[in-house]
Amino acid sequence: MVSNKLKKKYYWKDAIWGYLFILPSMLLVLTFVFIPVISSFGISLTQWNIFGSPEFLGFANYQKIFSNQLALFTYKNTFIFSFISIPITIFLSLLLSIALNQKIKGISFYRTSYYLPVISASVAVSLVFLWIFDTNYGLLNRTLSIFGIDPIGWLTNPKVALYSVILVSIWRGLGFNMIIFLAAIQDIPRYLYDAANIDGADKKQTFFNITLPLVSPAIFFTFITGIIGSFQSFDLIYSMTQGGPARATYLIGFLIWKEAFDYLHMGYGAALSFILFLIILVFTLIQWFFRKKWVYGEEV
Amino acid sequence: MLKQFSFRKISAHLVLLFGAVFMVTPFIWSITTSLKPLENVFNTPPFQITFPLNFDAYITILGKINFGLFTMNTFKIAVLITVGQLITCSMAGYAFARIKFPGRDFLFILFLITMMVPATVTMIPNFILMSKFGWVNTHTGLIIPALASAFGTFLMRQFFLSFPSDLEDAAKLDGCNPFAFYWRILLPNSKPIMATLGVMTFQWVWNDFQWPLIMINSESKRTLQVGLSYLLNENYIDWPVLMAGSVVTILPVIILFFFAQKNFVESIKLSGLKG
Repeated sequence: MVSNKLKKKYYWKDAIWGYLFILPSMLLVLTFVFIPVISSFGISLTQWNIFGSPEFLGFANYQKIFSNQLALFTYKNTFIFSFISIPITIFLSLLLSIALNQKIKGISFYRTSYYLPVISASVAVSLVFLWIFDTNYGLLNRTLSIFGIDPIGWLTNPKVALYSVILVSIWRGLGFNMIIFLAAIQDIPRYLYDAANIDGADKKQTFFNITLPLVSPAIFFTFITGIIGSFQSFDLIYSMTQGGPARATYLIGFLIWKEAFDYLHMGYGAALSFILFLIILVFTLIQWFFRKKWVYGEEV
Repeated sequence: MLKQFSFRKISAHLVLLFGAVFMVTPFIWSITTSLKPLENVFNTPPFQITFPLNFDAYITILGKINFGLFTMNTFKIAVLITVGQLITCSMAGYAFARIKFPGRDFLFILFLITMMVPATVTMIPNFILMSKFGWVNTHTGLIIPALASAFGTFLMRQFFLSFPSDLEDAAKLDGCNPFAFYWRILLPNSKPIMATLGVMTFQWVWNDFQWPLIMINSESKRTLQVGLSYLLNENYIDWPVLMAGSVVTILPVIILFFFAQKNFVESIKLSGLKG
């Protein structure tokens, strides 16, 4: 981190330049990230509809969350959403990146097609999938009807809707993970494979003993970013289901918005979001403390 | 020659091709739908296009529904934020990489930590702050909070760390102060990374939805994504118009993608760095 440890002597003229250079970023980050995190805890201790003045409640909002069925259900739903969509996304994109690494023709075509969903706006994507999932005329049910399968209420059946949203989120996430994995695979030094060849290792052994361990930091990284991403997912839910049907697709990012900006329960919304912050903090700390043990070859 | 058609390559192609179809089909389906009159949408085969092409949906989007205005608003906001971030991130990145000052490493770690704070957590306090500033329902309220980025700073720092120190020493000997060095030598030699960060930021702002949704309530200030989501609140669903709206919002980013493909891929790889 310190580029030159021996010469830890500061020239004050330089130091002043240093502070000047970071000043704009520092001010903005303090105002719009650090102070908000702290004040979100403060707000969470109040009842406030934003117009009047906040009324201090202590930890009542937190007590309410832990006795509120919708809130608990939403946290559970968010975990289900994450722990289905993230492993599937990681598995599929790993498979794709391995396929893409076979020095085959048309790499740029494949890369582009997997990349399009990543750069497309989530609202636009949601509208397209609303149409694909349409019960009567959607592409999916029309295709199924060719095989004589009855229409499925992709977004109208409470038992199915969450999985439909998961499908869209996998579709959107594949390209991102694939590029990261491909970069990780291409970074593996050639000589490791050569050495394995000389030792007579077969394809399977090479994969499990060289490729997978060396890609594991990237897998871990996409896992954490995936968690953070799905814990705040809002756009897809807002524009595809509004949390419905029968609240089957309520995710925490949506519930926070609903409470704070639809019902103007600023305090309650802040409490929900502060719990979210703590959960993400725990995951981040797990990553920091354990990545050396879990992940092979990671440098700090 | 026969070895070229090995089992491995064929199966790789099959996997990739199957996936690519899964990826691209929604786009094709949205384009073909957008080019049909509404009454044909339900009874013609999904991917069939009838000639002459029917552009009614696009005329509705660009004419009746203020998409032109929304596009201009979004473009303005995206350009200002992108320029702002390029300035703040390159400045801070330079200081963190090349200038020595007390507390530098501590402040840098503070920056890194903010990358882990989800926008959902800061959304409520920031909205309250904006309402105190009187910036609700203004573009200022969309632009100012987005002018700095911990990730962008990190990206620039990583790049500047590998900048040859000979150039810096030579510049110092010539009496360059840190600002002159930054402005005259560092920036002109950092075009690729600036382009990468720029492309990334522009795309992010263009696609941003939740913050503008909360902040903007008058139609004249609406952004593209919010305008698009409002199409859905109509009483009946006009699929060709919805699909035309989606195509129109996605298209600029795709065009940008084709011109800056390398930067896009690079930006993703670089975002993997922070792991």
